Amino acid sequence: MNDPPSRRRPRDTGEGQPRARRIRAGAERRALVPLAVATVALLAVVFYYPVATVFVEAVVVEGAITLAVFAEILRDPFYFGEFARLLAGEDPIAVLRDLLGADRRLGIVGFTAYQAALSTVASVMLGVPAAYLLARYEFRGRRTLRSLTILPFVLPSIMVAVGFVATFGREGTLNTALAAIGLGPVELMFTLEAIIIAHAFYNAPLVARVTTAAWESVDASAIETARSLGASPFRAFRDVVAPQLYPAVLMGGALTFVFTFATFPIVLALGGFQLATVEVFVYRLVQDLNYAEAAALAIIELVISLGVLLGYLRYEARHAVRSRGARPLPRRPLFRLPAISVREVLPRVGLGIYGIIAAFVFLSPIVSMILASVIAADGSFTLEHYRFLVDRQRTGAAFQVQPWTAVRNSLVFAAGSLLIALPMGVVVAVLTTRRYRGRKLVDAIAMAPLAVSGIIVGLGLLRGLVFGVEIAGWRIVIAGSVAIVAAHAVSGYPFVVRTVAPGLEGLDRSLIESARALGASRARVLLDIELPLVWPGVVAGAAFAFAISIGEFSSTVVLATGTDAYTMPVAIERFIGRRLGPATAMGVVLLIVTSISFVVIDRLGGESFGL
Amino acid sequence: MRALAYSDDGAPAAAGPDSPPAVELDGVSKVYGGTPAVEDVDLAVREGEFFTLVGPSGCGKTTTLRLIAGFESPTAGTIRFGGEVVSGIPPEDRNIGVVFQNYALFPHMTVGENVGYGLRFQDPPGGGSTEDRIAELLDLVDLPDAADRDPNTLSGGQKQRVALARALAPGPEVLLLDEPMSALDARLRERLRVQVKAIQRELEITTIYVTHDQEEALAISDRVAVMRAGTAEQIAPPREIYRRPSSRFVASFIGDNNVLEGRVRAIEKGKRKAGTACVAVIDVDDAAFRLETTETITAGDRATICVRPEALRIDGGTSRLTGTVESVEFLGETTRVQLGWNDREIILRTPDPLSGAVTVGFDPEDAHLVAVER
Repeated sequence: MNDPPSRRRPRDTGEGQPRARRIRAGAERRALVPLAVATVALLAVVFYYPVATVFVEAVVVEGAITLAVFAEILRDPFYFGEFARLLAGEDPIAVLRDLLGADRRLGIVGFTAYQAALSTVASVMLGVPAAYLLARYEFRGRRTLRSLTILPFVLPSIMVAVGFVATFGREGTLNTALAAIGLGPVELMFTLEAIIIAHAFYNAPLVARVTTAAWESVDASAIETARSLGASPFRAFRDVVAPQLYPAVLMGGALTFVFTFATFPIVLALGGFQLATVEVFVYRLVQDLNYAEAAALAIIELVISLGVLLGYLRYEARHAVRSRGARPLPRRPLFRLPAISVREVLPRVGLGIYGIIAAFVFLSPIVSMILASVIAADGSFTLEHYRFLVDRQRTGAAFQVQPWTAVRNSLVFAAGSLLIALPMGVVVAVLTTRRYRGRKLVDAIAMAPLAVSGIIVGLGLLRGLVFGVEIAGWRIVIAGSVAIVAAHAVSGYPFVVRTVAPGLEGLDRSLIESARALGASRARVLLDIELPLVWPGVVAGAAFAFAISIGEFSSTVVLATGTDAYTMPVAIERFIGRRLGPATAMGVVLLIVTSISFVVIDRLGGESFGL
Repeated sequence: MRALAYSDDGAPAAAGPDSPPAVELDGVSKVYGGTPAVEDVDLAVREGEFFTLVGPSGCGKTTTLRLIAGFESPTAGTIRFGGEVVSGIPPEDRNIGVVFQNYALFPHMTVGENVGYGLRFQDPPGGGSTEDRIAELLDLVDLPDAADRDPNTLSGGQKQRVALARALAPGPEVLLLDEPMSALDARLRERLRVQVKAIQRELEITTIYVTHDQEEALAISDRVAVMRAGTAEQIAPPREIYRRPSSRFVASFIGDNNVLEGRVRAIEKGKRKAGTACVAVIDVDDAAFRLETTETITAGDRATICVRPEALRIDGGTSRLTGTVESVEFLGETTRVQLGWNDREIILRTPDPLSGAVTVGFDPEDAHLVAVER
């Protein structure tokens, strides 16, 4: 009989193991921990610390804790309009009467909410028919069109703004086209309409995306059951389909409201300061070095945004219907009608009218921007605007924006933030897909950068690390460009998480367990099994991080103030009023870079992207 | 049979009652958020033994296997491998091989890379090269030329054999199989079962096998633990499990069975002491059944007895009952007949279909006393 212990071959400490292998195994075993610690530390330094700085800035005035700054803002009609009077203790009925009056004042916060509400309505009106088209009809290019709904996530908003300036401007394509058919010029620049159309461009695809997904998960047999029980097609839609669409439409609407409430580049470019939203005004206060008021206002904005988001999440928790349709509804051919009848023709006519409106909203800014970038002042074809980008502009004064510097900065920052965001995102994805107590908290902490505006992060970084922090006698100062890379990494990595985590979540657990039973450590399983299998998601996440950095505007414009660390979006904003040509040329460069990123994302990870 | 380098020190120990336990569970429990999945399980798997955990879904058999593998840690109790406590040792250091129901082949590696994966972390047993070891294992599972193939192109049975080769390649001390054949069709399952058993015999590797299929458990195992609601109801060799189930649950879960309850009227022959056989007369409804038992039993006890369908003979045996045919199922080699008798169902197997009133009977040695209650 053999001695049983001699059959045991402990895998890590056995004498038969070569030393090198033992050391490597030990290193691998511990590899995840320092990576996780580094991620947490980076997040703390470049996100939580700056945001906390902003918060402290708002409540500490001359060394004493006070809520005076908040109280002042809340009671100031400039910010809260008639509501401020309510907060100042005036009679609610008088306030209400004034609110219903013609010359009511909304204040900046009120106006921000108002334009966000209108933008939400416009986005839903433009998005839901698209969902109907995508979910219920079959036509060439349907998949491509569906993929394109992810594009707004990567399109720089300043580029969209340039597109709309090129469309709505005095010499924009819209007025040129109207003049050609003998109609007078329309003045849409610096109007609420322009802002709302631009917001709809941005957010309607989001509404369409989530609604399409919900529509596609409606089980056809549920409708057939309703019909067999006597419901008319309309009743079946109302009783079976619609209740499954509401939550999705509401989700799209809630997110649109939150996004447009915090809108910045679009309003800055299309509205100017006369139609300023909260975010624009925070930026203006930062430029005026009025940091305490800027911080307090930014926090009020954050609280309102988070309030809406939280309200939505509570609704979602109560109405979560996540049934994957066993058999989705069949799609009807769009162009080949099965019969000429009112029921077949009418929806298609409606979709045709919708198509024209949608084409105007979605295509005109892109087309106008491309046209404006190659057309000279006299109307002839030119590449001068592009030549301008690579010229080092020796003529310009030192304080002027140098186009080539902007292009170079954008690419360097994007590469840098990609190198940080990718490992961060992967580590967070790994941490949030494990099962353990407190996972939800980790998820929330890691995803918070999605909800906090870039202005706040930029402001916090600027006031903290860029201006310098004193720790134990050491003065820590980081350069503006380093802060920009860090801010970009923080705003980009949640997208890496969102593309990698679903893949990890979907991996068969027995693959991981098999590898572990064969002797692989946890970190080794990640390298050998998990990452190779979710590689497309990792590449898609990288493309996201790159595109987000290239297009990031809010924190960059704060951090680049007064330095030469400006990027293409910042340069565009500075060019936009005076030199539309170079702005559109840069917009086209951004469009190309982000389109390439989009193609990469779409080919590799678009399906699994969790939004 | 070819000599297969299985472990460093040559031939493994043979199975036998005096071998030290390779895997031992001592009062092991696992609670998930207040719900116990495994409750106070004691078992000892001997060196080289083929040990099966069988039970209906949710009985805790897979959890027990995952506790042994180290994928989960027990809420209470200890697990020992070869006498050493393994709590806190991660699965990769337990020297185990695991095969899952869904094969879990790494889809981004070739078959050969899959089989060789465990050899990245330790040298091949027997001292040869990794390539030789991969070839050797693929040979063992009868897939000699599959090394360069993409696992996604294999059939279910082939995938499962690759998974088995992969689990065996590093020469694990214990092989853990979690319903490895449940995804395969019946015919293939039977063929693979014979193959797995032959490999296990050849390597004499301690094997713990989880299945819900009682027939498979009986066919393949040296010993079987029948699990129910997180506890092991009976641990015994297959024949004993089949012939002498120790509880009503085991009696009805393993195979077709007629389980009847009655009261002991008298002891006819033999002594009433434990360990010696006696014949007891048990009243079930209006019938009197005789059965042989070694249990301590006295008149007036409530008794649960079982009689296998194949032990019931038409117009034969000493204990008889007459019932009415309620259903007839033709199964090929036999016909399964269900009789209605006093609101009870009596199952029997006959070569020919029956109808009307049928009298069946059995002999005392063919009935088994499952449980007694005073």
